[in-house]
Amino acid sequence: MEKTPTVVPKEKPPRPKYNMWQSAWYMLRLSIREKEKKVPILCTATALLAVASNLISLAITPVILGAVENRSPLGTLFGLIGIFVLSGMVVNAAAEYVSVNSLYGRITVRTAIITKLNTKMATTSYPNAEFDEKFLKMQAKAQQAVSSNSEATEAIWNTLTSLLQNVLGFLVYLALLSSVNPLLILVVTGASLLGYFINKPLGEYGYRHREEEGKLSKTLMYYFTCAESAGMAKDIRLFGIRPWLEELYAKTLKAYQAFHRRAHNVYIWGSVADLVLAFLRNAFVYAYLIRLMLAGNLSVSLFLLYFTAAGSFSGWVTGILNTLLTMHRQGLDLSTVRECLEYPEPFRFEEGESLEPDPDRAYELSLEDVSFRYPEADKDILSHISLTLHPGEKLAVVGLNGAGKTTLVKLLCGLLDPTHGRVLLDGRDIRDYNRRDYYRMFSAVFQDFSLLAVTIAANVAQTEDSIDMPRVRDCIGKAGLTEKIESLPKQYEEKMCRDVYENAVMLSGGETQRLMLARALYKNAPFVMLDEPTAALDPLAEANLYSKYHEMTRGRSSVYISHRLASTRFCDRILLIEDGRIAEEGTHEGLLAKGGRYAELFEVQSRYYRESETPSQ
Amino acid sequence: MEHKNDKKLLSWREAWKTNTKLLQLLRRQRPRLLALRITKDIWGALTPYVGIYLSALIIEELSGSRDPDTLLRLVLATLLSAALISLAGAILDRTLAVENADWYYYCRKLLGDKMLDMDFCIMDETRTQQELSTILQNQNGGGWGMGRGLDLIDSLFSSLFTLLGGLALTVTLFTSRVPESAENMTFLNSPLFLLPILAAMLAVTWLAPMLSNKSESYYALNADAHNLGNRLFGHFGFLGYFNDRGVDMRIYRQDIVCEKYNSDKTSTFSSKGPFAKLGRGPMGMYAAASAAVSGILTGAIYVFVCLKAWAGAFGIGMMTQYIGSITRFATGLSSLISNAGMIRINSTFVKQIFDFLEKPNVMYQGSLTTEKRNDRQYEVEFRDVSFRYPGAAQSAEHSEQQYALRHVNIKFKVGQRLAVVGPNGSGKTTFIKLLCRLYDPTEGAILLNGFDIRKYNYREYLSIFSVVFQDFALADLPLGENVAASSAYDRALVSSCLEKAGFSERLKELPRGLDTYLHRTLDEDGITLSGGEQQKVALARALYKDSPFIVLDEPTAALDPIAEAEIYSKFNDIIEDKTAIYISHRLSSCKFCDEILVFDKGNIVQKGSHASLVADSDGKYHALWYAQAQYYDRQEQEEIL
Repeated sequence: MEKTPTVVPKEKPPRPKYNMWQSAWYMLRLSIREKEKKVPILCTATALLAVASNLISLAITPVILGAVENRSPLGTLFGLIGIFVLSGMVVNAAAEYVSVNSLYGRITVRTAIITKLNTKMATTSYPNAEFDEKFLKMQAKAQQAVSSNSEATEAIWNTLTSLLQNVLGFLVYLALLSSVNPLLILVVTGASLLGYFINKPLGEYGYRHREEEGKLSKTLMYYFTCAESAGMAKDIRLFGIRPWLEELYAKTLKAYQAFHRRAHNVYIWGSVADLVLAFLRNAFVYAYLIRLMLAGNLSVSLFLLYFTAAGSFSGWVTGILNTLLTMHRQGLDLSTVRECLEYPEPFRFEEGESLEPDPDRAYELSLEDVSFRYPEADKDILSHISLTLHPGEKLAVVGLNGAGKTTLVKLLCGLLDPTHGRVLLDGRDIRDYNRRDYYRMFSAVFQDFSLLAVTIAANVAQTEDSIDMPRVRDCIGKAGLTEKIESLPKQYEEKMCRDVYENAVMLSGGETQRLMLARALYKNAPFVMLDEPTAALDPLAEANLYSKYHEMTRGRSSVYISHRLASTRFCDRILLIEDGRIAEEGTHEGLLAKGGRYAELFEVQSRYYRESETPSQ
Repeated sequence: MEHKNDKKLLSWREAWKTNTKLLQLLRRQRPRLLALRITKDIWGALTPYVGIYLSALIIEELSGSRDPDTLLRLVLATLLSAALISLAGAILDRTLAVENADWYYYCRKLLGDKMLDMDFCIMDETRTQQELSTILQNQNGGGWGMGRGLDLIDSLFSSLFTLLGGLALTVTLFTSRVPESAENMTFLNSPLFLLPILAAMLAVTWLAPMLSNKSESYYALNADAHNLGNRLFGHFGFLGYFNDRGVDMRIYRQDIVCEKYNSDKTSTFSSKGPFAKLGRGPMGMYAAASAAVSGILTGAIYVFVCLKAWAGAFGIGMMTQYIGSITRFATGLSSLISNAGMIRINSTFVKQIFDFLEKPNVMYQGSLTTEKRNDRQYEVEFRDVSFRYPGAAQSAEHSEQQYALRHVNIKFKVGQRLAVVGPNGSGKTTFIKLLCRLYDPTEGAILLNGFDIRKYNYREYLSIFSVVFQDFALADLPLGENVAASSAYDRALVSSCLEKAGFSERLKELPRGLDTYLHRTLDEDGITLSGGEQQKVALARALYKDSPFIVLDEPTAALDPIAEAEIYSKFNDIIEDKTAIYISHRLSSCKFCDEILVFDKGNIVQKGSHASLVADSDGKYHALWYAQAQYYDRQEQEEIL
């Protein structure tokens, strides 16, 4: 087999839509809008207290030293110590209290972003979430940016605090040192700048190569996904998979360690540059200050003060530069988050016409010359399909894997828009409606489903606030799940989802499928869409569902997708989808009589059952 | 949430034992890391005193004779020593950082490997999974566990040496005497004067860390609430990102429930939640008090040092040395105590990990070989086998109903085709799990060639089975490796197994063929297979293993009629001379099996050939068969036509 070399063009990351100042401003506004203005207030307090604490510890030794040096009276000495110590205590206590309390407001603001993002993801036009590569990439980055306290959406507050603190410190020390030779300030600042510019490219090694590291980490983490997974445990044991995984782990770990060795071999030169610069800077400061002292212009305590101040001053300068760098990086992430939230919607929502489903009304849904092609596919999966789902009609859709059955249903449900043609609800293009309202027209059971970490009843009702319990019981009953649910200690109030509630109830595949059916019944929408709802059911349960199908869908139009051709017989009309078209349509009997493709498929599937009719042959 | 403390602290004795165990483990497995970390602690703790000592000398000289030569020498010594210390520190840092890079993965792998070492029946218990997830949550959410454990031991060393270094430079503070000329200040020379000062120092150094530990302990004590909060947050905060939830999200407007949870300001971590309340109240107050109390100590130090200096016991330079080193001494002391407290808190979590790592296995491991016999003559017998899932028994009064299998007797030989049918939950899959010795029977025995399967070497016993479970799992690794379950494999054989499983068409479409990754987790060009395609790969894997027994649990559930018929028609080629055990809801597959076992409520209620079973119109099989076959029934068909 030929290997095609994959050429990945070195693409430059797109320019962020918002710069770091706009992002910081956005966060400030958000904190106020979320009624968490204590967040910026506590940040300011933290910065002020940190500078105050720094000034106290800078001054205490030289001042007291000076008092001893000048043999001030003991009372004055104790007074000075008292003032410093007390103010130190107050400042430190306040700083600590502020620090303990900073967390929650910040989490709340980050949670607000998480909420917005999650709502955007859960409601964005389905094609965005399904196959818009640009959106999906942005989504992954945004998710990363809200995933922990150390990510941009929360860490930005630390950065802003640190920026404020360093700028304040810088200004105060500038004033303090202005009384000495400006050359001193110049040299110290110069050394810091030099140190920063030497360190920046070196220190960025890890950042520049973060994707390489990320890939290795991902593989290492994947080992744990396998090793810790209950779902893989059987296969791992029976197929002796462990050595294979161990080998992968060992290989990756080696590469991971080599990566870090390389990175640290780079970083160490930054440290070396720093210590050389510190040597030179301190040599200059010592020489300058000692000369002043020898000339008799400086007391010992002032010497100590200036010397310490010079060291700290360089710290403020470096601090400002590093903070700006961090802020720039976090700004990129914050911009991504906003761009994600503002990502354009191909569907109409609030700006569309509103629609109120009337459960007692019969609607007609139709496809008018509809084609659909997935992005990057070379041909249409469905091509020029016209179809009308009449009021109250029970339609079955059959076809091979990959024929486009699910795509057809997604088009009807308005999850996808046709690439050509229109979907009409009572003759009106569904694109005119608020899509969220349009979804209210459907009760659906698809093969993938989403269970919530709420009670069984709430999973049926899809709300926690106003659950109609008799209706829940009724739907659970129709779905054939009453016996199971009522055997549970807390019955309908039992929580679901083990990954949240440790004692949550676990349903089998078949039971979950029935629960999903109950949920669809509870919704009681004009259209019922069922995609292979019996795949996990045993023959008796399956037959039971078929026999109740009419009752369950009474007065509704329904679409039923199945591999099991037999099951489609209770439908009014069957569509066979093949090669992107409706290859055949009609009733089960009609299609069999026609002797076409449907009859052939039916023959294949029923062969084993039919031969059994005459086992003696 | 109530703020009742849901965790108890370990006793000091247990904490000591737990941490010694941790150190021993690391001494055995990561001696270099341990040595480097301790060296770094000592280096970092002691070297600052060089600077304190030398700059004191400079100040002493400046406030005294101010001899330029001496000053030059002292300044050079200060600068050079600082540079050298930094250089050595940087080299040490680099070495340690490289050694430490995989630390997180090292800790995690202890757990992962334990999961792999565990008997399946233990791993499969919900309790085991919960224990692991609690450990991981404590580690990732609260930062508790082994990582914190080593860090704390680290700082314990570091504070111990800080304390000792500080002490060494402070001894002369206490021994140096105020000259007699100071008259009434000579009381400072009295040892009695030292006592209250030392007492105050000790009291404060105790108090500060105690208060701070008290504040910190709120998180540890409420670790379970903390974890539940994180889990809820992790669930509702990110549901919208899941591709496979996308349809339900929209059709059922699940964003509304998510938003309700996400915007609840009284939830665990939010600004009106329980921890925020603790922060405004005791947690914040204790922390503030702790920070303030250390100030008293600073004051006491200054008063004592200043008094003595003022009275003339030593010069200004020594004053800076004493202040510098005694402050460090005090920091060392308080961090020593605070570390001890934190170690005790964290020990609860370390112990949790060790308890998990030391979970014993329960399955008997025999040594009999299964003799990979060429004639593949194997005979399996279930002799009065009953089975109850662990944990099922205690919970119920109707213990009889808790059995997943009850009194199962069955014997089969290699080369047979066996079908297993029955309603959901009738014990079919449990039967397979027992056969493959993922579980041992609660009562009765399973025999292979007349010997209890427990007497065989476990690994060898497993090697005679190839299974495609209903919930089979493939790794997100290359296709070929998945089929072979190994990175080194016979490419031709893998291709032929894939072909037998009906995957060859798809294989031809893959530009990278067998080297194509499944999923995009680890490779951007990976492919996502449909359920049916995955089933085919899993089947190919079972074929590649080429074991005498092949077990297929619903292997065609995700296939369309054509693909299913294709597998059926090839069934005999695929199975060859192996024993096949076939579980299916589609009873049509029973057709080509020699014997059918019908399970119901944990019992084998019927066995025999299709012909004999379907003839028994009162039997379960008859009911199951006609539930499905009615739709394909020829007579009914003809009536309709």
